[in-house]
Amino acid sequence: MAWELAAFPADLLREPGPIDGVEVEIVQPGSPVRVTHVLDAVEPRIRPDGRSAFPVEGPAGEGRTNRLDGVVVLSCLDFPGEERPLHEQESIVDLAGPGAGLTPFAGMAAVVLTFSPQEAGHVAIDAEARRTTLAVAEDLARSTLGAEPAEIERFELGPADAGLPAVAALIQLSDLGPLYIQYVYGEPAGEAGLPRAFHPAAVLDGAVTCGEYHWAGMRNPTFFFQQNTLIRELYRKHGKSLRFAGTVLMRGYEQSADDKRRAAERAAAAAGELGADGVVITTDAGGNSHTDVMLTCRACERAGIRTTVVLAEETDSDSTKPILTDWVPEADSIVSTGNVEELVEAWVPERVLGGDLLLDGSPAASAGPIPVRNYLGAANQMGQLALSARTE
Amino acid sequence: MRAVHYLNQFFAALGGEDKAETPPTRLDGAVGPGRGLAAALEGVEIVTTLACGDDYFAEHEDEALAALLVHLGEIEPDVLVAGPAFGSGRYGYACARVAASAAERGIPAVAAMHEDNPGVAAAGFVVPTAVNVAGMRDALPRLGALASALASGRELGSAEEEGYLVRGFRRNYVAEKTGAERAVELLLAKLGGETRTEAAGDLDRVEPPPRVADLSSALVALVTEAGCVPQGNPDRLPAVRAQGWFRYDLDGAQTLASGRYESVHGGFDVTLANEDPNRLVPLDTVRGLERDGRVGRVHESLYTTTGNGTPVVVATKFGQEIAGELRDAGVQAVLLSGT
Amino acid sequence: MLAKEIERAGIPTVYVTSLPTVATMIGANRIVRGPAITHPFGLDEAERRRIVERALTMLETDVEPTTVWEVEE
Repeated sequence: MAWELAAFPADLLREPGPIDGVEVEIVQPGSPVRVTHVLDAVEPRIRPDGRSAFPVEGPAGEGRTNRLDGVVVLSCLDFPGEERPLHEQESIVDLAGPGAGLTPFAGMAAVVLTFSPQEAGHVAIDAEARRTTLAVAEDLARSTLGAEPAEIERFELGPADAGLPAVAALIQLSDLGPLYIQYVYGEPAGEAGLPRAFHPAAVLDGAVTCGEYHWAGMRNPTFFFQQNTLIRELYRKHGKSLRFAGTVLMRGYEQSADDKRRAAERAAAAAGELGADGVVITTDAGGNSHTDVMLTCRACERAGIRTTVVLAEETDSDSTKPILTDWVPEADSIVSTGNVEELVEAWVPERVLGGDLLLDGSPAASAGPIPVRNYLGAANQMGQLALSARTE
Repeated sequence: MRAVHYLNQFFAALGGEDKAETPPTRLDGAVGPGRGLAAALEGVEIVTTLACGDDYFAEHEDEALAALLVHLGEIEPDVLVAGPAFGSGRYGYACARVAASAAERGIPAVAAMHEDNPGVAAAGFVVPTAVNVAGMRDALPRLGALASALASGRELGSAEEEGYLVRGFRRNYVAEKTGAERAVELLLAKLGGETRTEAAGDLDRVEPPPRVADLSSALVALVTEAGCVPQGNPDRLPAVRAQGWFRYDLDGAQTLASGRYESVHGGFDVTLANEDPNRLVPLDTVRGLERDGRVGRVHESLYTTTGNGTPVVVATKFGQEIAGELRDAGVQAVLLSGT
Repeated sequence: MLAKEIERAGIPTVYVTSLPTVATMIGANRIVRGPAITHPFGLDEAERRRIVERALTMLETDVEPTTVWEVEE
């Protein structure tokens, strides 16, 4: 089963039509703009065959999908009211300045959607924002229909030498309830029967979307699934240095110790069914999702499947060793995606979109140094970017 | 650019052990190994050599440092270089302290000594050398290179790249490959028999303290990670990250009354806890046991913090502070409620 | 975590939590499993008493590191 992803140049980007209750602004690459309260980042995608670019029914990852290259939709919203939801933490994208390199979006044209939520509960506000954002992302890609692609990538897993090691990706999604959910075919991760295997191309083709708003620097927006570096890398190396055995999606934040243990064992079993000799285990967000990762690492190693785990650190500046949220001795092969506590130099942008005040009340335009923790996906634990930490 | 070179009495040619009590002395230009160092510097001139006897430094550290810093303040060099001290402990320590003090005052500084020299622990940047003066020819070019880099103000690479001893701080950097590429590489290496890691975890274990011999006479404290605070959260315990921990005076209260306490924990649905906060901190039960004599006394201070979103190092600091207070109050047992 | 630091100060500490796996991994030594994250001491007073009593008994007992006790019905 092959999937084609056709890339179209950014100059096909057209201004989206007006949307009730949403400010729409197109920002050119590298503009000195700080975007705050960022909920999600989405790449404009559309399927010429008319199926949804963000399907609620599978399977995705077949046929062809078009994408607008170098364009990102950023949705911004400050949930109203005194009752702050769980773990609400500021989420920033700087399109220039010292924080620009922390996310991949500074080099892209950003279509910024700023929502002004009306009187409604958070769940309804969030659902509407997600629906609108994905609709805009699909709508923006409409201009690619009938145009000439700049490049077509083909994702296909052909035969590979049986002597090559079989490697699978175990990708963690989050579900802690409304506002902290990642979705698989539109279903919350906690209700999608995870852990189970999915075709890797489906993950790249819109099967996973993000409605999760905590741990900005450590979470994975929709864009990071659409452009998943790990899955791309495994496709790239398939038949050369490894056999890409497949992808298992698993859920972090299982709520009881027994659930955590069972899920870890089932993830290991799923990896075993794929015939994996080794797995890369990725993490989403912070806190006890790291425990799920460590338990999964242990379960895999005990089943004879070797593991490499991808994690961010929370190390303070005086510490002489990396501080991990959780750890088991079996986790002897860890990729560090950086220390989220490290501060990024203060920057004064020329404009602020999303909201003028950060969640802590400081003015976004003159906020002082901001930790990596608050930059969307900066220390994401799927290995999407190149930030890391070392002992010096 | 301008450098100051720190040497002990021997290398500054002031004398041997008999001159180890020499106080800080200022000499023009490069002296002794400073000449070899000068040749290894790039765009940097040694304008002054500061020398001090190893014994003088050891016995009058504060005065020595003060005097040396006065000279440095007058000269305002672009870099201070100390040593190489090789395996000499007193000299290595002096080099480390001089370099660290200079760095504290904004003068980039580097010392050179053997990696086992006790001075290493006190220093910032250290260029490792052989254990004795036979390593001088090898050390000077490396020392000169790093000193020049520091003087130039350019951003330094890793310890490995620049030739200094790992100081142990974690610092972010942008790797040449994405985390995904590195993960696949590490995994394939592990499958091939070579296990490497970019971060190592730590198993810091504490032995279980001995049991409480007689609970009926013991002072028992209640501590909670569930963020149970008086209504309205007057201390403003943040739901995400505790700015601190809080100590609340129970003032003889026999129960946590709904409406008086609330949980601002950011990790779960607090409805049940707010209906009856004793579900999170079982004060009513423990008071009953106090009245019955099952426990001696309930400590009148309730400690609370949140367990979520707090970096581990910060949580450890809070734990140590709370533990200290409990110990000082003579608490003999703790009932800790988590989530 | 708190339990470890208080124990480091030499004070026996019993940790009541619905996530004993997490607690053992972080290194707490005396752990009693509670029924749920939202109510680790249970819903009603009777259940609370049983759990607290179990916790007190654990304080009166010498244990191996990272020991988890259930609350018998």
